[in-house]
Amino acid sequence: MICCRECLELLNDYVDGTLDEKIKESLEDHFNDCPPCISFLNTYKSTSKVCKETLSAEEIPEIVQVKLREFVQDTLKNAKEG
Amino acid sequence: MPTKEERELDDRLVQELKDGKLEAFDEIAQNYQRKIYALAFNLTRNQMDAQDVAQEVLLSIFKKIHTFQGKSAFSSWVYRITLNASYMKLRTKKKDQFVSLDDMLPSFNNSGFQQEKLLDWSDSTDSLLFSNESKEVIEKAVSQLPEKEKVVFLLRDVEGLSTERVGEILELSIPAVKSRLHRARLFLRKKLSNYFEEFDTRGAKK
Repeated sequence: MICCRECLELLNDYVDGTLDEKIKESLEDHFNDCPPCISFLNTYKSTSKVCKETLSAEEIPEIVQVKLREFVQDTLKNAKEG
Repeated sequence: MPTKEERELDDRLVQELKDGKLEAFDEIAQNYQRKIYALAFNLTRNQMDAQDVAQEVLLSIFKKIHTFQGKSAFSSWVYRITLNASYMKLRTKKKDQFVSLDDMLPSFNNSGFQQEKLLDWSDSTDSLLFSNESKEVIEKAVSQLPEKEKVVFLLRDVEGLSTERVGEILELSIPAVKSRLHRARLFLRKKLSNYFEEFDTRGAKK
């Protein structure tokens, strides 16, 4: 049976679904017998999820959108005149 | 991941811009400015810096489009310019630190098994997610990541790009991308654990 340390080293590939089928099975065997590793797995997954939900909600502020719009128009205008 | 349609649109607009059809630039700017701004903001955590970066990147696209050879996806090229411009903004900032894996993992006995109970706070994140407090904790944790790990985490987990794409953008091997991503996730898990565990305990005492 693989130990917790090995189990946690494999989490990355396990979560991303890139583990070899055999290794995946032995990892899941370990999870069945080890509540701390299940907790670790759940919180490891949650970490990516909450960070994504928090950070990808970042929208461009209105004022920045206006500035960028002006910048694009100025760049085009200069290019056409030059 | 860019869809086939997005890639085709990019290819068309890039060709038009190369051919001197300047209006294509307007469309490229519209399509990319949110991505550029969001990545720059998540790296610099400063609105003015992110705006400067976005302008520089747009200008680079406009002026240097002829240097884009099409070997990688256009969006990879744009991400790379965005990272470089963001790092220029940050270069005066603190020296990079190193994430020690042992600090991020629970304690093991000699056989490599965990010895302590581990609190599972994953269920309590839903109710907390949209509070300002947890938003601040998450932003702070990400800002504390060393740059090497941070950029991989932002591209892979926040932007949702594939491991292969991230490798292409950063010119890293697949194993290197994976190892940095794993470190980043462990680092953040540890930081968030400190917060969410305390929250769970607070809740339980009530």
